[in-house]
Amino acid sequence: MLEALLFAMFAGTAIGCALGVVFHRNPVHCALLLVGVLLNLAGIFILLHAQFVAALQVIVYAGAIMVLFLFVVMLLNVKGETPLLTPGAAKFFGFLFALIVFVEMLWTVLQPGGDAGAPAAQAPLPADFGSPAAIGRVLYTVWLYPFEITSILLLVAVVGAVVLAKRKFV
Amino acid sequence: MLGAPGVPLLWYQMLAAILFTIGVVGVLVRRSALVIFMSIELMLNAVNLSFLAFSYHLKQVDGQVFAFFVMVVAAAEAAVGLAIILVIFKNRATLNVDDIATMKD
Repeated sequence: MLEALLFAMFAGTAIGCALGVVFHRNPVHCALLLVGVLLNLAGIFILLHAQFVAALQVIVYAGAIMVLFLFVVMLLNVKGETPLLTPGAAKFFGFLFALIVFVEMLWTVLQPGGDAGAPAAQAPLPADFGSPAAIGRVLYTVWLYPFEITSILLLVAVVGAVVLAKRKFV
Repeated sequence: MLGAPGVPLLWYQMLAAILFTIGVVGVLVRRSALVIFMSIELMLNAVNLSFLAFSYHLKQVDGQVFAFFVMVVAAAEAAVGLAIILVIFKNRATLNVDDIATMKD
């Protein structure tokens, strides 16, 4: 009961903030509302026994990535000059395609044989589920190669960002 | 519903679907490149929620590991993408994606 209440609270705030991200005029407000979405999702992650991921969500996502966003928004200082929404028929088709995507996802989720109806694993939840130790054990054994590849991805991203920032483009 | 005591898995999936759709609307309808980027972050987070819900439902930590990978990709994407946006703004003095569709003409 308490869990359902907390879920409803976090989910409602997250959806409200997400709508604000998409429809607010000022990009600074958009970024701050996105931080609201991320924090509420962190609360939902804790409901899902993913404490470590929730902590990373707050520290890395809301703390680092969104600061980067805000930094760029304030550095560029663009507000009001670009039109809010795409004009005319493109707007209509944008909403239409989003609706189609939503209906498709709902159809998949609500299907009787769909994954949402899959029976939960019978085994009881391990005591250390979601702890850094449990995640690390899986991350550095089963998912070792993908982990190493992500480190290369990050290296490429750093090099790319530096090159983009330093080179003169005409 | 089956699944976790308290909140059924279906609700998490519905929330993820709603957040993802809002992100899709943002990408398709907004014109500012920065807000389109934020909408992409929104979609990545909806996917993360789906991963974690299934991870809890199936009582396997692998879903949480995948959420990490999604976060890493989001960080890399934000670093490179924002650098690209800065360069575009330096050259064009606009962020309207309709005005910077140079491949078109």
